[in-house]
Parts: sequence; C-alpha cells; structure tokens
Amino acid sequence: MTEVKLDRIGKKYGAVEAVQQFDLTIREGEFLVLLGPSGCGKSTTLRMIAGLESITSGDLTIGGARMNDVDPKDRGVAMVFQNYALYPHKSVFDNMAMALKLQKVPTAEIEERVGRTAELLGLTDYLQRKPAALSGGQRQRVAIGRAIVRTPKVFLFDEPLSNLDAKLRVKMRMELQELHDRLGATSVYVTHDQVEAMTLADRIVIMNGGVVAQVGTPREVYDHPADEFVAGFIGSPAMNFLDLARDDTGRWVSDCGNLALPALPADTGSRSRVRLGVRPEHIEVLPEAPGPAPLTYPARVLLAELLGADALLSLGIGETRLLVRVGGADHPVQGAHLAIRLNPAQLHVFDIDTGRALPRSAAEVPPR
Amino acid sequence: MTKRPRFGLYALVILSVVVSFLPIIWLVLTSLKTTEGIYAWPPQYLPDPFTLKNYINIFTNSPELLLYVLNSFIVALGCTVVALSFGGMAGYALSRLGMRRAGVLMVFILAVSMFPPVSLLPSLFQTFLNLGLLNTYTGLIIAHTGLFLPFTVWMLASYFATLPPEIEEAARMDGMGFFRIFWSIVIPLSWPGFVATGLIVFIFSWNEFPLALVLMTQNAMRTAPVGISLYPGEYAFPWETISTATVIAIVPVLIITAIFQKQIVGGLTAGAGK
Amino acid sequence: MISMISPLDRRRHLTGLAFITPTMLVIIAILVYPILQSIVLSFGQSSIDGSGPYQFVGLKHYAALAGNDRFWNSLWVTLTFTAISIPLELAMGIGLAVLMNEHFRFKGIARLAVLFPWALPTALNTLMWRWMYNTDYGLFNAAALQSGLVDRPINWLGDETLAMMSMVVVAVWKTSSFMALIILAGLQSIPRDLYEAGRMDGMTRWQEFREITLPLLKGPILVALIVRSMDALRTFELPFNLTDGGPVTATESLSLYAYKVIFDFIEFNYGAAIVVVQFLVIFAMSLLYILTLRNKD
Repeated sequence: MTEVKLDRIGKKYGAVEAVQQFDLTIREGEFLVLLGPSGCGKSTTLRMIAGLESITSGDLTIGGARMNDVDPKDRGVAMVFQNYALYPHKSVFDNMAMALKLQKVPTAEIEERVGRTAELLGLTDYLQRKPAALSGGQRQRVAIGRAIVRTPKVFLFDEPLSNLDAKLRVKMRMELQELHDRLGATSVYVTHDQVEAMTLADRIVIMNGGVVAQVGTPREVYDHPADEFVAGFIGSPAMNFLDLARDDTGRWVSDCGNLALPALPADTGSRSRVRLGVRPEHIEVLPEAPGPAPLTYPARVLLAELLGADALLSLGIGETRLLVRVGGADHPVQGAHLAIRLNPAQLHVFDIDTGRALPRSAAEVPPR
Repeated sequence: MTKRPRFGLYALVILSVVVSFLPIIWLVLTSLKTTEGIYAWPPQYLPDPFTLKNYINIFTNSPELLLYVLNSFIVALGCTVVALSFGGMAGYALSRLGMRRAGVLMVFILAVSMFPPVSLLPSLFQTFLNLGLLNTYTGLIIAHTGLFLPFTVWMLASYFATLPPEIEEAARMDGMGFFRIFWSIVIPLSWPGFVATGLIVFIFSWNEFPLALVLMTQNAMRTAPVGISLYPGEYAFPWETISTATVIAIVPVLIITAIFQKQIVGGLTAGAGK
Repeated sequence: MISMISPLDRRRHLTGLAFITPTMLVIIAILVYPILQSIVLSFGQSSIDGSGPYQFVGLKHYAALAGNDRFWNSLWVTLTFTAISIPLELAMGIGLAVLMNEHFRFKGIARLAVLFPWALPTALNTLMWRWMYNTDYGLFNAAALQSGLVDRPINWLGDETLAMMSMVVVAVWKTSSFMALIILAGLQSIPRDLYEAGRMDGMTRWQEFREITLPLLKGPILVALIVRSMDALRTFELPFNLTDGGPVTATESLSLYAYKVIFDFIEFNYGAAIVVVQFLVIFAMSLLYILTLRNKD
C-alpha cells in the first residue's frame, strides 16, 4: 500500500516559512496536483517528498515508513524535472539506466527494463542518441522513462510540461494521462497551469503563500472555492468580484448603486458588507432589458473581444465593470445596450476581511 | 547602415598590432643576429647575417637556461593541477552544497587574494627554510597554489552556478552520492570552465616573480622569469644570450595563448565581471 | 541546535566541509598565516631563520620608518606610478576595446596581439623593453639618432623623470590589453537596439559613445580600475628588472624597497614593518573593491 502521508509538514529557511503545516494523505494510485502561483510553496513541498529538501517540522511517511531522514534514492520515489535534467554527456539508454546501474541491477535486466520502457514511450530508435539530438518532446519522454524504469512507488512531477510549446504540451498532457491510467502509480504533480491541474488531477491542492488554501476534486474547487484566492485563481478569465453593502431595507447594493440584490444565497450573519464573486461564464446576457425582472440589470458593452469560439465582453453597469464570456457567434458589439441576469446558484459570497467563502444558506433557491 | 570610412580603422588596428608585437619582434630579431650585429653602428634592423648561433650556444654552453624553462613548466603544471583539484572541490562546496556563510567565505577568499605577494615573503621564507621547502618544486607549487587558489575558486564556483541544478538533483534521485555527482556529472559538464581556469592559472604561475625569486635561491631551481632576469654577464648584460633565452621562455606561453585565445579571454572577462 | 539539523542537510554540510578544507588549509598556510606573522615580526626583533628568541619592541620599526626618507620616497614612487599609469591604461583600454568591437578582417590576429603583452611574464616583458631602451644599442636611440631627431643618445633609464616615464610606458603597454578585454566584454553586453534607438533619436557617433556606451560601461571600468590599481600598488618585477629602482631611488617601489630591506640588508623585522604598511594601503583598496561589488548586487 503506497499511501503518502504528509503530517503537518513545514519548511523554514531562516525566518521565512516556505511551507506551513501541510497536512494531507495522498491515496494509493491517486493523481494529486499541487497548484498555485510561483513562490506558493508547491515545489518546496514536492522536493520535501523527494528528499531534495529537508523537512523542518512534521512527518512524511511513504507506504507507512517515516521518510524524513531517508536519502532520496531510498524513498522509492522518482522525479521528472521541468527542464528534463537529463545527463547531457550520456546517451538516452545510459540516462534511463543510471538508477538501475547504481542499484547494481544485473545488466541483462537493465537492458530488458530500459528496452521495455523505451518501447512504451516510443524511444526505441533513440536509445543511443545524446539528449542534445532529441526534440523537446522526446527529451521529456526520456525524463519520464527514466522515472518509469525504476518502477517507483510514487511519481513526482515538477512542472514537467512548462518547457514545451503549447501544442506539444496538450499532446504530452494526454500521454501523461494515459500513462497514469496504465501504471496506476501514486503521483504528485506540481504546476501553475490550471488547465493541467483540472484535466489531470484526481484531487487538486491549491497553495497560497506556503499554506494550503483548498483540497478538492477539480469539480469541487471550481464549483465551491473555499476562499477568494481559490475563486480567483481557478477559472479563466478570472472571477468577477464586487463589494456589496446591506442597505436599510436589507438589500445588498453595489458601491455605485447600480446593482442591487434582494438577498444573497449565503449565510451572511450580521455582516453589513460582503464580496460577491461571479464567473464570467455564469452571467447570462439578454438582448435589450426585458423590463424589471429579478437579478436582471441593464448594461452597456464597453469592449468586445472575439477569442474564436468565445467572446469576452467588458460590461458597464453604471460604474461597475463585469467581464462576461459569451458565444463567439454574433456576439454583441462595442457600445451595444443589453441586459444581464445573475443566477443565485452560481454566485459566490466571501467575507471581506478573511476572504473565506460564506456557507450557502439553507434557504438557497435551486437553480431555475 | 551607412558605410563609414575604413581607412582610419585599419590604420589604428595596424598601429595597435605593431605596438603590441614590437618588443617581441625586436627581441626575436636580436636573437637571430651575431654578437657584432647586435652592437653594430649603424644599427642593424634586420639580422645580417642571419644566424641561429645563439640558439645553438644556449643548448651547448648555457643549458641552465633550458633548465629554468623546465622548472617553470613543472611548477606551473603542478600548481595548475593542484589548484584545479582543490579549487574545483571548494568551488562546488561554495556554490552547491548549501554551505552556511558561503557568501562570507567567498568574500574572505577574494579579500585574501589581494594580499601583496611581497608582504608574504618574510614569513614564507622563514617557514619554508624551517620546513626544508626552499628550492623544492613542492614548496613553490604549494606557494603558487595558495596565491592562485582564490582566483580558481571564484572562477569555478561561478561556472558551477551556471549549470542547471536539476541535473545534480536527478543524479541524487538516481542514487548518487555527492562525491560521485561531483566526479561523474559536474566535472564532465564543467570542462570548459576547468580548461579556461587552468590555462589562466598556468600562465599566472609561469609568470609569477616575487615568490619564485625568494623561494628558489639555488640557480638550478630557478624558474624562467627569475633565472633569465638574474642571468649574470661578465661585463655587461649578455643580450644575445638573454634575448635567445627569453624567446625560448615565452614560446610556450605564446603557443598556449594563441591556441586557447577564446577560452582565456572568456575566463578573464568572466572572472573580472564578478 | 545541532539536533535540529536534518540528517539530510548534515550529510550535505559535511561533504561541503570536506570539499572546502584543502583549499582553506592552503589559503591559510600561504596567505593568512604569513600576513599575521609579518605583523608579529614587525613589532619585534628576531633572527633571520626565526630560530632565535623573539623580542617585542613595540612600534620601534614603525617609528624608524616615519623618519626614513627612502621609505617615504618609495611610497611616493608607488603612488605616482599608480596615479600616472592607471588613467593612461584606462584611456588606451577604452580605445582598444572600442576598436576591437568594430568589424574588420584579421580580427583574430589583432585580438591575439592585444592579448600577448598580458600573457607574457612581466619580468621578461621588462627585459625586452630594457633592451629597446638601451642607451647605446637600443632600438629607440638607434631610430632617433638615424632619423636625426636627436644628435645625442637619450639616457632613457638614467634620468629620474625619464626613467619613471619609461616604466609607465612598459606598464601601460602590458596592461592596457587587460583593461581592453574587460571593457570589450562590457561593450558586447550592451544591447544593440539601444544604439538603434539612439540612431532613431538622431544621435551622432560621439553622442552615442557619451550617452549610451560610457554610462553602461561604468561597472566593468570600475572593476578593471580597482584590480589594476591594486596591481600597480604592489608592482615589483617591473622596477626590479628595468632600473633596479634607479637612478638612485627614482623608481624604487614599495615592494622593491621592502624586498631590498629584507633580502639585501637582511632586516626581516624592519622589512616586515614596510610590508605591513603596504598591506594596509592595499587593504584599504580591497575594501573599496568589495564595497563596490556589494553595491553592484
């Protein structure tokens, strides 16, 4: 059973706390993605699991054994690096065989295992080449092959696709997915790319400033972001945020006064101000205002950008700006007047001070 | 782009080249003249008659001048090998092994490299005398190594810093220890840095004067710069012998410089840019 | 605290320690210990080979130095030599670097020509020049006399002012190339599009040099200046081989004087005091160097 358990793990560099109280159990065979902006501590966490960074506090166990002080090579983990980290002066075969050679595996077995892995990755014809003679995608395959050959209990990936161009990245991402399905090994994958995270992950850990902001399935972090940071980080373009204040009649009104909601689908308690979040793809655009209707507001198109399948509209509702994603065909043009409608089920409400999402109110109206 | 006048440019280039080479050319010409030709009036600009007598004489009459060159070679080579070995390890420790206070150590090493060599002499002479290291290759090799290790450490540390650390980390994951990583990954990947540094250290050691002067007091142990400088003349300085010996002593450096121009220039400018 | 360090880090630190130890031992033995011992020697009286008893005499040697004209002369010679040769080297270095940055044929040979004076031993360079300066058989006097520029041979190394100038010429010839190389590297790191932007703004060649090149070369120039100044302040084999400090003491540098006191007059303790003073002068310079580097980062 290869369960990776991080028990309140922390890393300090002098007075700087790079990672604080990271607490998580990674299940057998799970594909876990660590996601966050640069400097959030995701790579440090991965490197602590790998043994390239020492652990300042907490305990790391892999398959039930405490690994804090164990040398990287004895942890049963393999790592794929962002810039491939192939030995430039050794052939593809030697790159893939190195770990086995160091483990004193018999030569015949090394050849057999490297050969099998090369076949799996389509590298058989390149085994005698030096890394410099390979394309970016091939190098990445060698780097992955080097990890597979060792049959590790846990795979670690440190932004393995970010050195590839956009097209190749999509292709390699799918290959990685297939590979994981085949091998079924526990994997920890670090990235700053939310598309990679959403597509690959069984669960995503979103980190911010050395702290875990949320752990959940891709669906959970998208639908129910735990705080404003996660809400803004997941989704592209980013979620719209606007501050609302409760007026004398109990309505929630935007600062400029043009947007007023009779009620919020969240337990606001005694707060008089909250922050409302709504994703650009969750705002419904209607042709010219159909007359007063609940959660419907007149708006003007300040800017319209066609992206292809979609278009982005920058809308003005009085002083308030909202970004809205609509279909690319026949999208409204700049200067057009129209109306938008909000769906209470797709509104997110956050505490202004802590940024935490407020719990959905029991009286929530089901959508539609 | 408009074409600028090239004539002035070439004139300046030719002038610089001539001025740079002039002393060397004059020296070579002198070494190819007869003694009469050297001291003739009106002066001989080109050797007339041209003769290799001075070179033959060195081999037959003044073999100690050749010995000086050999001494220089042994010392410079020894110093280069030791400095690269020690300096490579130290540079790796400082740039990659997470030494605490690595920055302070680097500044310390830089600071001690600025000590004037003459200020080391009274103490070094006494110490070497007591340890029996005067007039030994070992002694001067150690002294030169000490003198040029700071440069070596700085050069190699900054070279190692340009290598992607992930390759070494991958080696750790593969199961290599630090010694093995240094030996079979870092050194093969850093050979251009070692070559550039080694060439410059070799030249430094070949050229060093004050320590070689004081620590090698026996004539037979002198290095080329010192031995030739102290070469005794009966009445005046014997320029025909001196010029010939000097040509012989600078030829190795000229050849090294000519072949490895690029590496030396790269190393020098990288070192000074830090 | 020790127990807090992870075994992973400890292994790394121990390896680091093992890797740096040989270097530190050599540096301490050859550079640090001798300086400290020179300081000890300068405050006392002892026999040459250090076998006899050491007697502490306090500032006696330093007091003697303060009243020693030859010492002050050598300090003055050293500072004058530095002050004259460094600006000349800088000017030549910038000129050469700008020249080498142009495109022309046979550039390899030109670069080699610039590199040679630096690569050869100063002691032997100096001998070559001494031969050209030779009053009776030297190239310079031969050319000057034959062309009728002068009617009597010039005693290049026998006149106090001329000797200093002759020494400066050798130093400038030898080290301008070093300056040029460092400045050239700086020049080549200036992005080309800055000059294109300058041309769009209508700059002349001279304005380009003043407004773009020079300001961006400040860093490399400063480094080259300080490295070279420290070299000039400890110059030894140049006067040793060119003039032996003469005529009289007109070109006797601090290093040369210290050497003579120690090894010709066999006064180790007195010489150590001179050496310590020289060390302090250069130490002040190296402090400046390090502070400059610190500020650059």
